[in-house]
Amino acid sequence: MNFDIFVHSPAFILGIPLLFAFLTPLVNRLSEQLRNVVFGIGLVLTAFFVGLMSYQVLTEGSWLYVFGANQPEPQNLLSYFYFRITFVADSFAVLATITISITAVAAGIYSYGFMKDETGLNKFYTLFLLTLAGVNGMVLTGDLFNLFVWFEVTSVASCALVAFRNYRGRSVEAALKYMVLSTVGGLLVLFSIGLMYGQYGVLNYALLTQSISGTFIDKLALGLLVVIFAMKASSAPMHMWAPDAYSEAPGSVTPFIAITSLGSLFVLFRLLFGVIGVNVDPSVSGTLLIILGVLSMIVGVTMALVQTDLKRLIAYLSVSQVGYMMMAVGVGLATLNSADYQNFGTLAMKGGLFHMINDGVYKALLFLSAVAVVHVTDIRSLNKLGGLAHDMPYTTVFFLIGALSIAGIPPLSGFSSKLLIYQSVYLYSPVLAIVALVVSIITLAVVGKAFFNAFLGPDQGLAEKKVPSSMLFGMGLLTVVVIIFTLFPNLIVSEIVSPAVKALVGVMP
Amino acid sequence: MIDIGIVLEGIWSPIVFILVIILASIVAYWLYRMGNSQYEKTEHSGDPFISGNRPPGDIRKIHVGGDNLFWGLTKALKDYFDPLIEGHTGKLNDYMYWVVVTLAVVLVYIYLVV
Amino acid sequence: MSWESLLLMMPYITVVLLMVIGLFTVLFKKNLIKIIMGITIMQNGANLFLVSLAYRSGEYAPIFTSAESTDMVMPTPHALTLTSIVIGLATTALMLSFTIMIKRHYGSINTEDVRRCKE
Repeated sequence: MNFDIFVHSPAFILGIPLLFAFLTPLVNRLSEQLRNVVFGIGLVLTAFFVGLMSYQVLTEGSWLYVFGANQPEPQNLLSYFYFRITFVADSFAVLATITISITAVAAGIYSYGFMKDETGLNKFYTLFLLTLAGVNGMVLTGDLFNLFVWFEVTSVASCALVAFRNYRGRSVEAALKYMVLSTVGGLLVLFSIGLMYGQYGVLNYALLTQSISGTFIDKLALGLLVVIFAMKASSAPMHMWAPDAYSEAPGSVTPFIAITSLGSLFVLFRLLFGVIGVNVDPSVSGTLLIILGVLSMIVGVTMALVQTDLKRLIAYLSVSQVGYMMMAVGVGLATLNSADYQNFGTLAMKGGLFHMINDGVYKALLFLSAVAVVHVTDIRSLNKLGGLAHDMPYTTVFFLIGALSIAGIPPLSGFSSKLLIYQSVYLYSPVLAIVALVVSIITLAVVGKAFFNAFLGPDQGLAEKKVPSSMLFGMGLLTVVVIIFTLFPNLIVSEIVSPAVKALVGVMP
Repeated sequence: MIDIGIVLEGIWSPIVFILVIILASIVAYWLYRMGNSQYEKTEHSGDPFISGNRPPGDIRKIHVGGDNLFWGLTKALKDYFDPLIEGHTGKLNDYMYWVVVTLAVVLVYIYLVV
Repeated sequence: MSWESLLLMMPYITVVLLMVIGLFTVLFKKNLIKIIMGITIMQNGANLFLVSLAYRSGEYAPIFTSAESTDMVMPTPHALTLTSIVIGLATTALMLSFTIMIKRHYGSINTEDVRRCKE
């Protein structure tokens, strides 16, 4: 029997982080250096298997991975669906896992230098890898019950990560709020899963897509799923947990917490396009996405404008960026069944999904460089920071690249995706494009404020220590990725994003 | 929705954009070179000033804080910002309240429209 | 609606009651412990919902008995419920330990006092 490692890669993407998560505390008993090495190997191996899966999907096409089947791609799918755990390895999952992996590797390397002085690090690395497994499971899974399980794994692990510095009261407070919202959300998701199971007797995405007809109960399930996953994706007006959790989590995992909410957004899109949204009425769920997205954009960016805490400011910016993706994909969903989809709907989808992968990377870069400032000076307030460009030249450059990218200044990567969004959304409704442009301008004002306050001005000697080299390396890695996305947007769109749009809109394998 | 008859695909090439930036920098440098090379820095050139006067105190300490930037904008739009800031109360019940309210609105919308 | 069909609806009515009571508690109770109790009530509601979905009149539980295999109900909801109970235990334990730490830091478990993260 031949063992094709490419075909089995989805299992490894889950298995490797789970294995290494529980290996790190054991290795920690031997030596702390070795534990760090094991953690790094776990991250890089996961990213490696993501690479293998991506290669296989992009060259050979997508497949449905069935756990425990005697062959990885069973011919008679229906007989397997009732009992087996299925994973969907398609281009959309590739897009999601690539975004997650880049951020995870960068944040993991960054953690070495950042968390050096903390105690209980073996648990930190365990939680980190568990969160990674949870998010990957959430975007890869092919049935609703697994979705619930990975949703809760992600919630528990990421909430524990937020509360990791439990000597700070605020961290625990933020974690508790996040946890209560996630748990109630998880229960409502379970409830809506029950609603669908009770009607159709299946949990698999592909089978549900065929059977859901838009009954009274389906609409209830649709509403629950949209609201809960939008809440997890930190969409306004349910965004309030996000600034708390992002700003109080240990700095090195802040982008990773943000990635869990981006993962929820990926799941929301998959559910809307692949399971329930299209069957009820795509224009309704599309309109919902657009409304939530516009609200998030406006509320996020205006709240960011009045923040004086550096990490909170970027957290609010991340809320407004989520709005862009929801709006763009919402336009794609709203026009799905009309001729407009070919005209501009598909362009909007491309813009939205390209913005997701862009946003995952540059937001992480922005968070990490802001955290480096906080790490070095131990000050968060923008009223007190200043003149750090004299002491931290590399961090300044990294922050500037991230800031210009999030504000959509050409030629950086944020501009390429925002341009796609502006063009396509304009054809749907000019008002949306105007809102997007204005929000982009205010974003520039916000990051300008942050950059001006923290880095420019006379040297005030605030930097107490040097930025550790591992932190610089983590930020440098993300900068390289941002520059690649900047220089070759066409390549990324045609090779990764367009297949993802096709996989998302088309039927499941 | 408006019909402009064409489908916008757009042309965006970051390479060209970067080339233009480099070209512009070369031109700017050339203009800079044309300047007077005999200029000498006096004692106070480059110092910050407010309305033509030297600001009081140590000029090295002058820094515009986060609250000061966009102060006018936030003051002018006070009616918009204040409810937004106060709305984020930090109370767990209020966070849940927003989720439930959104859920209710979304469900009403779905049942009314479909 | 006959008396019998109302009796058959009883589990679902209980589910709705439990969910609403739990949600009400999370919304309107200020005490963190009570909020977590509300979440547990909601968990029980969701679990009861899944178990009542599995019930089919005249069929047998999917365990080793002499019943015909066609007479057994699908075991999926039971697996779902077991997993959900385990997850519920984990989340409840984590939230309670957060509450202990909040009591240490803030000296209170009233949500009116636990609000340093705001604006």
